[in-house]
Amino acid sequence: MAPPVRSDEQGHATVTIVTGKAEARRRLQPGRSGTLRKIWEHRADYAYVLPAIAVMLMVIAYPIYYTIELSFFKTPPGLQLRDKTFIGFDNYTAILTSQVFWKVTWNTLIWTLGSTFISFVLGFATALALHRDFIGRGVLRAILIIPWVISAVAASYIWKWIYHSDFGIIGAVLVGLGLADRPPNFIDNVSTVLPSLIVVNIWREFPFAMIMMMAGLQTVPDQLLRAAKVDGASAWQRFWHVTFPHLRNVSVVTMLLLAVANFNSFIIPWIMTGGGPSNASHIWITHIYELAFGRQRWGVASAYSVLLFLILMTLGYFYVRALSGNERNEGSA
Amino acid sequence: MTRIKLGSAVLRGTVVGVLMASLMSTSALGAPPVDLSKWSPEYVRSIAGTQDFDTAGDCAKVTPLDYKGRLTFWYQGVFEGDPDLLRQYYKDFFETFRKTYPNIQLEEQALTYNDLLDKFRTALLGNAAPMAVRLQILGGTEFASKGYLQPLKPEDVGYSTEDFWPGAMKAVTWEGVTYGIPTNNETMAFIWNADIFNRAGLDPDKAPATWDDVVKYSKQIHDKLGIAGYGLVARKNAGNTPYRFMPQLWAYGGGVFDEATANPTYKQVELDSPQSKAALQASYDMYVRDKSVPVSALTNQQADNQPLFVAGQLGMMISHPSDYNVMLDLQKKATGTDKDKAQTVIDNMRYGLIPTGPDGKRAVVFGGSNIHILKPEYVEGGKVDEPAAKAIICMWTSPEWSLKMAYAGSNPGNLNGFKTKWMKERLDNIKFLDVTTSMLPYGIPFPALPQAPEIMNIIVPDMLQNALTGAMTVDQAADDAAQKVKDLMGGL
Repeated sequence: MAPPVRSDEQGHATVTIVTGKAEARRRLQPGRSGTLRKIWEHRADYAYVLPAIAVMLMVIAYPIYYTIELSFFKTPPGLQLRDKTFIGFDNYTAILTSQVFWKVTWNTLIWTLGSTFISFVLGFATALALHRDFIGRGVLRAILIIPWVISAVAASYIWKWIYHSDFGIIGAVLVGLGLADRPPNFIDNVSTVLPSLIVVNIWREFPFAMIMMMAGLQTVPDQLLRAAKVDGASAWQRFWHVTFPHLRNVSVVTMLLLAVANFNSFIIPWIMTGGGPSNASHIWITHIYELAFGRQRWGVASAYSVLLFLILMTLGYFYVRALSGNERNEGSA
Repeated sequence: MTRIKLGSAVLRGTVVGVLMASLMSTSALGAPPVDLSKWSPEYVRSIAGTQDFDTAGDCAKVTPLDYKGRLTFWYQGVFEGDPDLLRQYYKDFFETFRKTYPNIQLEEQALTYNDLLDKFRTALLGNAAPMAVRLQILGGTEFASKGYLQPLKPEDVGYSTEDFWPGAMKAVTWEGVTYGIPTNNETMAFIWNADIFNRAGLDPDKAPATWDDVVKYSKQIHDKLGIAGYGLVARKNAGNTPYRFMPQLWAYGGGVFDEATANPTYKQVELDSPQSKAALQASYDMYVRDKSVPVSALTNQQADNQPLFVAGQLGMMISHPSDYNVMLDLQKKATGTDKDKAQTVIDNMRYGLIPTGPDGKRAVVFGGSNIHILKPEYVEGGKVDEPAAKAIICMWTSPEWSLKMAYAGSNPGNLNGFKTKWMKERLDNIKFLDVTTSMLPYGIPFPALPQAPEIMNIIVPDMLQNALTGAMTVDQAADDAAQKVKDLMGGL
């Protein structure tokens, strides 16, 4: 058989000589040969990441699979887990028709959106303020990072005492200044408990948004800002038309990271209120914990977890897309 | 100090006989080492220090002292609300065990009351449980019914079933088989600050006789002094809540089931009965109507009431005799004028019997802990070193150590502990111990059901929170809780 003759981009004829066997294999699997060849060419790379993939399969993929499987079983609290019975989608139906689910979902939405949005705005504003040069900027930046670096558990206990309905610091100050007759009820009231916890969460995570946005601000080209200033743009116009467009991607990434963290945020609500009073501060993750470990409804808790997983995966998808957007922008720059 | 005629009070109790029968009703009842029918502070004093025990010698008959082995052991240990004295006894116990059994490699882990169940359940799911575990009294039947525990009775570690409180043995028995041994059992008492009573126009030497009186006293204290009257606790997933609400529920004639009767069947749910609702109404009246209890009751536990009490900001509460020692510890840590204020509170601290319901019924939770051995298939490594496990169980449940480990806050699970010299010493050192030992005959064990932890730690506190936050009316909260118990018992 004559070897195939092709021409390159400059029109020079090139001849590719292949063996009969290889050609036959290529013709039999025209789509896969490229992929397989690439894998073979990068076999050393795959070998390097194989241990990591194996570990991930064990500690991530298997638990996910097992959680999904368990979500289709009834696990009566009085029996061992191995005595579970298959019930199809009944756990999902039970969840979606329960009043508690909708209450907890509403709490989760308020918690996640409130914490994410306000943390971001506060972090962004602080980053803008700290972007200017002034005496003590470094010290102030270090102080503002403290809430983010201290343990969430310790912070929760401290805030629990700050909020304490009988002898909390806030209450004592307000009563001492004559601004209130008795200490305000922050966390023992169904109406105020969730906003109070959101304040603690914002206090803890706004430094993260601040750091991210400060990093983003470093990438805004100074010459563009100077040019805009020379052209007579006001401070707001410079921010809106020059600074903000440059921060779009880092803003999206920051908000997505905050949203994922807040959906999964367990420590603050669990330690400060345990989801109470009267389920008023239960969010998905604390409710799942109580269902699983407190009430041993492993099947229902797994179904909840699968739903939460789907939501987080969706957020993860947008996060990856935002990151890809960043890379594309950097590539084109 | 108030002198309460505790002995006569015990004799006067109209329902004592029934409750004693409940505590004593077990087929295994033979001849206990102490005469429970004579139980009174005077009787307890008369038997204290009358017998010596050789702990190492007794345990050597179970597991030779030179036995070589390895033991993993989890236990419900001291927590933030316990006095320093108790911490020292726990430390001493493990040091003594290691000296007595130098060839047993002991890997112990202490967990607090509220964390132990969750962690233990998780470990069991992964077959990573310890070889032996000391659980709260609520936990025994749950794990026995699921088949995690090995049969274990006092005779297996050299004691007799009759050496232990019959009511406590019920908590470790499932379908006629014994799966554990009680380490300690206790009942709480009613504590008040005589100075606050005096300033509020109440008789400083007289505890409220009934729960209705508690509601009235609490309001009077709050209205006159602007401080909290009664230390209500309604936190979810906290052992303190059922220990404080159930005595109230039972006193009003209510219950989760019929657990307050002599021979409970646990068939009929009683949480929605008029009597149960009356008990819930009393809490509602204090928290919502009168606002006479700490606002923080919904997120607090007893450890949070203790600083309030020692600061003179709380008039009454239910607790262990150990709270006296806790107050002493807190006073030591106070500074400046706070130290003097704390001392005033301690000087005015009074203990009495828990109030009765409207019909004269007095009740208290018969609490405590049990010790168990796991089946090998649920243990990390798949092996249980039984001789090593029995060695530590023999020591902990011995008259000596079951007394010492309960020195400040409880009572020995092994009734022979009451005869030891340490009991005599304890009666002299631990103030108000008479009162809490006097409450023992009124003790009602939690329902011996696998579902009991969920009922007591989640459903009952939920009921309280639903009523006290206004999320539901008292009737709705009680009905909702009753329905949850029915669903739970129905396998939902």
